[in-house]
Amino acid sequence: MSSDVLRYAPAPGRFDEVFEADGSTRPTWQAVTAALGSFEPAVLLERRRQADRLLDAQGTGHLVHEISLATDRHGVSAAQRSVSHPWRLDPLPFVLDADEFRRLADGAAQRMRALDALLADCYGERRLVADGLLPLELLHSTPAFRNRTVTGTPRSPWLTHYAVDVVRDAAGAWQVVHDLTDAPSGLGYSLLNRTVLARVLPDGLRSLGVAAVNDHADVLRRALVARAPMGRTSPRAVVLTAGPADPTYVEHSYLATRLGLHLVEAADVVMRAGRLWLRVLDGLEPIDVVYRRVADARLDPLEPGHLGGGAGVPGLVWGAEGGDVTLANEYGSGLAESPELAPHVADAAQHLVGESLSLPSLPADASLATSPVFAGDQDFPFVSCPVVLRLQLTRVGDEIVVLPGGAGRVLAPGDHPARPTAQVVKDVWVLGAGRRRPVVAAAAPPQVDFGGSVPKRVADALYWMGRAAERSEVATRAARVVTAQLLQDPTLADMADGAWAGGAVSLLRAAQSAPSLLPLDGPAATERLEAEIDATCIAAAGQLAAMVQEATSVREYLSTTTGRVLGRLARLHPLLAGASSQADDLDTVLVDLAALSGLMMESTVRGPSWRFLDLGRRLERALAVLGAVEAALARAVPPFAQQPLADAVLGANESLVAYRRRFRSDVDLRAVLDLLLRDDANPRSLAYQLDRLREHTAGLAWPEGAALVEAASVQALAPIDDRVVNGRVVDLDAFVVGVRGPLLELAQAVVHRWFADPVNPTLVQGRRP
Amino acid sequence: MTTRFRVVHRTVYEYGQPMADGFTAAHLAPRATPWQAVVAADIEVQPVPDERDDTVDEFGNAVTRFAVHHAHSSLDIASTVVVDVEPQPVPVGSSPWEAVVQAARDARGELAVDLGPYLAHTAATPADAGLGVLVAPEFTPGRPVVDAVRGLCSRIFTEFAFDAGFSDVSTPLDAVLGARRGVCQDFAHVGCASLRSIGLPARYVSGYIETVPPPGQPKLVGVDASHAWCSVWVGEHGWLDFDPTNDQLPPLRHVTVGWGRDYDDVAPVRGVVIGPGGGQTLSVSVDVVSENRQ
Repeated sequence: MSSDVLRYAPAPGRFDEVFEADGSTRPTWQAVTAALGSFEPAVLLERRRQADRLLDAQGTGHLVHEISLATDRHGVSAAQRSVSHPWRLDPLPFVLDADEFRRLADGAAQRMRALDALLADCYGERRLVADGLLPLELLHSTPAFRNRTVTGTPRSPWLTHYAVDVVRDAAGAWQVVHDLTDAPSGLGYSLLNRTVLARVLPDGLRSLGVAAVNDHADVLRRALVARAPMGRTSPRAVVLTAGPADPTYVEHSYLATRLGLHLVEAADVVMRAGRLWLRVLDGLEPIDVVYRRVADARLDPLEPGHLGGGAGVPGLVWGAEGGDVTLANEYGSGLAESPELAPHVADAAQHLVGESLSLPSLPADASLATSPVFAGDQDFPFVSCPVVLRLQLTRVGDEIVVLPGGAGRVLAPGDHPARPTAQVVKDVWVLGAGRRRPVVAAAAPPQVDFGGSVPKRVADALYWMGRAAERSEVATRAARVVTAQLLQDPTLADMADGAWAGGAVSLLRAAQSAPSLLPLDGPAATERLEAEIDATCIAAAGQLAAMVQEATSVREYLSTTTGRVLGRLARLHPLLAGASSQADDLDTVLVDLAALSGLMMESTVRGPSWRFLDLGRRLERALAVLGAVEAALARAVPPFAQQPLADAVLGANESLVAYRRRFRSDVDLRAVLDLLLRDDANPRSLAYQLDRLREHTAGLAWPEGAALVEAASVQALAPIDDRVVNGRVVDLDAFVVGVRGPLLELAQAVVHRWFADPVNPTLVQGRRP
Repeated sequence: MTTRFRVVHRTVYEYGQPMADGFTAAHLAPRATPWQAVVAADIEVQPVPDERDDTVDEFGNAVTRFAVHHAHSSLDIASTVVVDVEPQPVPVGSSPWEAVVQAARDARGELAVDLGPYLAHTAATPADAGLGVLVAPEFTPGRPVVDAVRGLCSRIFTEFAFDAGFSDVSTPLDAVLGARRGVCQDFAHVGCASLRSIGLPARYVSGYIETVPPPGQPKLVGVDASHAWCSVWVGEHGWLDFDPTNDQLPPLRHVTVGWGRDYDDVAPVRGVVIGPGGGQTLSVSVDVVSENRQ
């Protein structure tokens, strides 16, 4: 088979995107065929693999939906999460020439205006009902219909962002599958798909002059800002999401980043005096426009017909009615996409705007046109499938801008066009559009630096992410060190009547943040050892899951590379969670954790958000050092067990190499304690963590925190040389407790000072009559 | 003869712990009707809300929205209502019910917009609830609409047992129909769903009823209740109320607050509090006092 020609067998008697009925290649595809260069399966397979990797780096699916353990912050709960799979980008685009796309875009824009008029009428005058075009009861029978109050004077337009699914029928005519007016999805995915294909097929895109899509994020941002209530200088818009549990959360996060807007959840905002405010570290900041990716029915628990208990932003609709905050799209917009209204849209358009819609609705039994889709098989590389296009439209003032591209979702055999099951998407290319006239930036609002305003929830999540990252590292490393010592010297387990084993068990328990057991030795300690190693790995897995979960909700604060490492760690999770992890598995996890910790230091802008991440990490590390010293060194063990235990503590603290380089001697407990607790040049020492904590509390201008760090530091200066007597550590308790006390207080103070505001909405209902 | 009713309706939530924030929407202020004049309506909230507004909802009812933005461990809503109520006129010699259905179906203009909501089927008043057994025996061909509605009202009263423990706000109509028991809210839903199933517009009405003590016994304080019943559109005459819980057409000791498609549209108090989770306790008391006036 010739590799530079696209060959496959389209379904006979149906319009095909590539081939004419007589088998010749359509003009658009002649150009595309030449530009794409090769259709060799191996080449396409490599392109697809590359696309997979690039999508993966954005966390498309993995970060949330493929981790099987949900955890809370204080432990592991084994709740299963829904598993969803990331989509796959087909290496062949869906191609339209500029003329055809323009007709399609005009049809979609016409439909957007018609639906806007429909909404204005249904929530206003109701001419459609009065004139008999809609059955009397239809609106109030439709679950998507929202009650409105008379004060609700929605400002035009109803729809700022609109998406529509269209498909070509077997005869070649475009038809509408359905409208998306409530909280349209797919724009972020379309932008993301293009950035991926631009990396995979840079030459193809350039030589064909494919219309660029990337400026649509700017168009949407301008559209949102333009919807701000009158008289707002430098208005702020936010993206409202239901959070990481939303199946399209990855898109929300990506789009927020592209728009340069805060991604907020209900807990991040609050209504006060008719206005919406962002809860930031130092108070409240006003929000003017909400680009809502939360559906009408889940937006405001105060509204009748609300689904989802107390979730949502109470009072938001009330505020929007008052005109002091704008919802885009307006509350109630979901009515226009409801299946109940769909059969009436064409007549409504005729009646309200006096136009017949140029894009008809798809008849139920229509047969569809086909496109080649890469199947990856060497002998039959392409299959022929229908593709549903999702077009994205944004209304800026009175102008409607259509994204010159979009996403084409491939239909598996038997799929309803509205519900594709195949997770394969085509990027949509519009050819020959030439340079688009630039969208005029009407009175660009002044640039405001929102970098300093960190939502409380974000700081909270980053802090716990830092703590969980450190906890998982401590646990993994402890398990690794003990496992390695046992591998090298299996006799250790029984040594000195279990003296080493007793110390190792204590070390492992400390690494799990588990309560210590009564001092164990003898056979009991030896027997306990294997179980504690497994338990430590499982605890590490739990912390890993917790960390990934926290990270997911603050994805846009972390770099793309960080996202990739988090994805890897999420996939490594089963290695730890299964029983009997091997030393190699633990090493793999440790390497990725080290990469993560490097990225936290090197690829995170030093603002308040980073401070909370690092604060969590330092606090946890300080507590871990104290725990390890207390668990394994401050024990009465025979001198010959002291050496391997000291090695274990140094190893668990990653200070063994530092120790050997410095002292080149057998264990000297004074030197060990000095290195672990006092040496401010050792980045793993207690003293080093206290220094960082001091910087953070100073950076946050937080006297209460600084005082607690100071109290811990004073205690940490207490003499420890005299705690080593006759080669044994004695009475270290006062030291450990003295330092740990203020640190635990600090942990509570952080939550109280910076994150508190228990946000736990509860629906209050009346009693039935 | 006009009766003056004075209603004091107190709703008290005890949260156990201080709540940081609370939002409430209340349907408590009565609306005027051709037979009910509103003399006074006062809603007092403790703690004093930080913001409050009064507006009119989708169905023309007064709705009061308020929010408390400071720590509070209880919320006390006291609604005091004074209305003058005259007996509702009942048309004599009404049209056959099919003619009323046809008139509703043919409605255009303002009437169509007004009737539309009350022909709608909602989650609480579904279309496919198997109401034929209640409706068919009463809505016989050509029967005057008021007679048929009176028959339906009595049938619900007879066939359903009042059982305060059976249902709660989320009990679906299916369960009520299956068990043939429930409370006034359920019976009002049954009445509305039945009428809408044959194309007669029906409203769910929310309000109060004055209870009359057994002969010779004094009336107890706080035993009155918020109540729900139905209103049906009977053509030119307009709307006619009936109470399936007490088998009354028209209702005799009733104070109307508002109406909608179902309970959810006119829930007396609906709110969200933000704060530590935990148990909330609710206590409600209603007192209705009447005096006859000439």
